[in-house]
Amino acid sequence: MNCEVCQLKELEVESFEIREVLRCILHTIVFHRALGLIRPKDIDLELFEITYVQCGEIEVEKKIDETIEHFISWIEKHPNKRSPICVSFYEVKSKQPSWFNNKQRSYWEQWYVNLNVLHQTKSPSHHSKLVMDTGEASEERSSRRTLLEQSLQEVLFQIIKFVNEKKDHVPPINDGVIYCPFEITMPSSSDSTFGMDIFKRMLHSGGHPSMLS
Amino acid sequence: MDFPENLPSSSSDMGRLEQIVSHFFPKALHIVLDSRIPSLQSRGRTRDRNLKKSDKWFNLIMGDRPAALDKLHSWHRNILDSMIIDIILIHPSHHDHAETVMERWVVQYENPLIMSPQSSDPCTRYQKVYKKAIILLRSLYAQTRLLPAYRVSRQLSSSLASSGFEMVYKVSSFSPPVTETMTEFRFSPVEVPPGRLCASVTYRSDLSGFNLGAHITLPPRIITDYVGSPATDPMRFFPSPGQSFEATSSFHGRAGRGPPPSPSERPHSWTSGFHRPPTPNQSFSPQFSPDFHCSRTEHQLSPPFSPSGSPRGSNSPRINLRPGTAPVTIPSSATFNRYVSSNFSEPTRNPLPPFSPKSTRRSPSSQDSLPGIALYKSSRSGESPSGLINHYPAHKLTKESKYDSGRFSGLLSSSGSPRFGFSRSPSRLSSDLEDPDCSCPFDFDDVDESSAGLQYSQSLDRRKTSSSISQSLPIGRKSQDAAVGVLVQMLKTAPPLRQDSSTYMASSMSGVQRQGSSVSGTESEFSMARTTSDALEELRNYKQLKDLLLSKSKSVGGATRVH
Repeated sequence: MNCEVCQLKELEVESFEIREVLRCILHTIVFHRALGLIRPKDIDLELFEITYVQCGEIEVEKKIDETIEHFISWIEKHPNKRSPICVSFYEVKSKQPSWFNNKQRSYWEQWYVNLNVLHQTKSPSHHSKLVMDTGEASEERSSRRTLLEQSLQEVLFQIIKFVNEKKDHVPPINDGVIYCPFEITMPSSSDSTFGMDIFKRMLHSGGHPSMLS
Repeated sequence: MDFPENLPSSSSDMGRLEQIVSHFFPKALHIVLDSRIPSLQSRGRTRDRNLKKSDKWFNLIMGDRPAALDKLHSWHRNILDSMIIDIILIHPSHHDHAETVMERWVVQYENPLIMSPQSSDPCTRYQKVYKKAIILLRSLYAQTRLLPAYRVSRQLSSSLASSGFEMVYKVSSFSPPVTETMTEFRFSPVEVPPGRLCASVTYRSDLSGFNLGAHITLPPRIITDYVGSPATDPMRFFPSPGQSFEATSSFHGRAGRGPPPSPSERPHSWTSGFHRPPTPNQSFSPQFSPDFHCSRTEHQLSPPFSPSGSPRGSNSPRINLRPGTAPVTIPSSATFNRYVSSNFSEPTRNPLPPFSPKSTRRSPSSQDSLPGIALYKSSRSGESPSGLINHYPAHKLTKESKYDSGRFSGLLSSSGSPRFGFSRSPSRLSSDLEDPDCSCPFDFDDVDESSAGLQYSQSLDRRKTSSSISQSLPIGRKSQDAAVGVLVQMLKTAPPLRQDSSTYMASSMSGVQRQGSSVSGTESEFSMARTTSDALEELRNYKQLKDLLLSKSKSVGGATRVH
């Protein structure tokens, strides 16, 4: 089974928009991979006129929220770095022993969520948030917001398209399993450990050549 | 993988594949309509252990499927037929309303002429197919939330009706292509040997032309205004794509298709839903089925299909208990099957012989009488506390049902649900062009439920029953006309029961008289002339009763105000 990779369109977000945008995207991805019996939950975004669907599983929600918090704290420490968030779906195969542990993860799908977080120091429009809003700044912000909303919708469409086009690589659903096991990774606190994470993952996966593509 | 149907292991792979296909259609329908039509949203969130099998299909719990959807789908018996779901926005346009198709969802099982080679292991094939179908439905579900019509339907459900907008649906197996520029999205088909399941949606991406954001939420208006207002003409016909019935088995969420629209043919008591007090569900007593939500938009939907029998089975009592103004008719799927199979090739045949063996041919103009029936029933049951009056129609109608039009007795049986009449009307229009004398699907089976319906209807909010009166006109056969004439007389002569309802009744009745429809107006006058003697007799009875009650009340100290 090959590992399918989907690179989502990059979004420019402000720091206060990260949470909503990430929740929306991550939940939408997992919803399409929660193939067990679920009760879907519709969630309206507050900042945008978009409704996304959650699979309704509490563990998923927790995992995603934790990821988002990690990401936000990482971004605050590394303001000028772009860091993709990677959602990897894997199968656990316990029969093949490997160096590190008995359980081997076989990754069959990866999603890269690309956010470009705009910081206040970067663009003049953010400066205006600290001072009195000029008409131009607010106009610029609202047009940026509209653009972001459209882009976010495009990303969601992109997810739906990808999910539709590629179905063969999805492993069979085991009884009782609600959602395909996944992990969300992002750059950790420094670049060097980020590389180490990739390396570790590669070893765990048992050498999928397409893992890093 | 948990396959909802516990088929014995010996059952064929093909059987499971066929089940996947046959369950796919109602699930897709449920997903689409649940997201677009608030009245069809599942209200009851059953606990997981109480889940019905149907809800477990494709591992997507949607909540209890409203009976309307079950019936809606029951016409779709041939899996090779497409299922086309049109989501239509009715919006104010110039001095009237226009309908625009906002979305068209198409679900189809394409069957190739040549069997595809069965390469994979049959034991696991259906599991793979099922998994892919699950993914397809997940993406369909997410897509329904992404498209612009979702926001529109949310706006309409939360804002009040007098905006002039409403969203309705139409399900058919064939529809002419839409002419407007729409965007299409095709879901990737899922191979289900020997064919494949396909789904697509064509939608309007630009809704700026509808001025949706500009409408202001107004407080609900009472029916009296509605009746007199030319802007809310209840007799508007919902134009259908003009194909003949033979070509399609279809049904509408509104008035039906068929003959060129005439002003008198819209069964529109649905629009009255607009003008009812907001959140109609608030006025329904909690005894009703919690999982069926009668909202304003439901009133816009005429039950989607042709009369096909009474709502038998577990759904029927629930349906009858629904508030009377909810325009839902739920013929049973079994009866509808018969209807569909028999009616395709012989539209002139009575589609439901087993259900109305004694029904007589009804006149073409009587197509409009269904609303009238509903009018009649609801006003009687809702308005009068008098046992005599309530029983009168019951007895009379019961007798008449034996030899009279099935429609009328159908009204009786659907006592708490005048909408039955409504619902049948449009579907009849749509399906019975050559056979306007479709038998009433309800009379045969529902007479026994009339008593429950009567009790129920008495608990209806009076405004609602009055409002339904305002929308429909008494038209139809003599017996129905007679009954309506009697009603008209009684209501005109009776002092008000309550101040507010009397205002309603007076104006709604006068509104009825004033209604622009030439057919209905003529017929009601005609019926009244014919049944004057009946009316006088009725009046005499009423007076006697009144005197009796007055005398009784005097004897108990006059504490009760009797009218």
